[in-house]
Amino acid sequence: MAQLRQDYDKFVSRNVAVVVVGPEDARGFAVYWQKESLPFIGLPDPQASVLKLYGQEVNLFKLGRMPAQVLIDKAGVARFVHYGHSMSDIPSNQEILALADEINK
Amino acid sequence: MPRVSINQTAPDFSLPDFSGQAFSLADLRGQKNVLLVFNRTFQ
Repeated sequence: MAQLRQDYDKFVSRNVAVVVVGPEDARGFAVYWQKESLPFIGLPDPQASVLKLYGQEVNLFKLGRMPAQVLIDKAGVARFVHYGHSMSDIPSNQEILALADEINK
Repeated sequence: MPRVSINQTAPDFSLPDFSGQAFSLADLRGQKNVLLVFNRTFQ
């Protein structure tokens, strides 16, 4: 999350809204957002409804949910999909920003 | 479990954000690109 926060302005300048979906409840989100001064849209999803819709991997034998990122263009089409296979398997901001540049062309 | 593929329409969904305000992916269509981040936990 800190990684995304660092380049938030670059996402904004590329007309990318950052939307974070997580398992915590609204209170958990509110506390974390305030603590970290996060500018993103935060969607508590304790029922895992969006998670199931998008097929985020859940590995019960490891550490629960795996991270995933989907970049959706203005037309609503998924242009980049990354399903992490470990907790640290997260694409770089540069990779996503370069793709946003492509989408905006 | 279904997965989203590149160049397919991303499934629409609506959820309240943590402040209780309604959020719908469809509302951003035609307006903004969206980076959807599935977070595991804040720990």
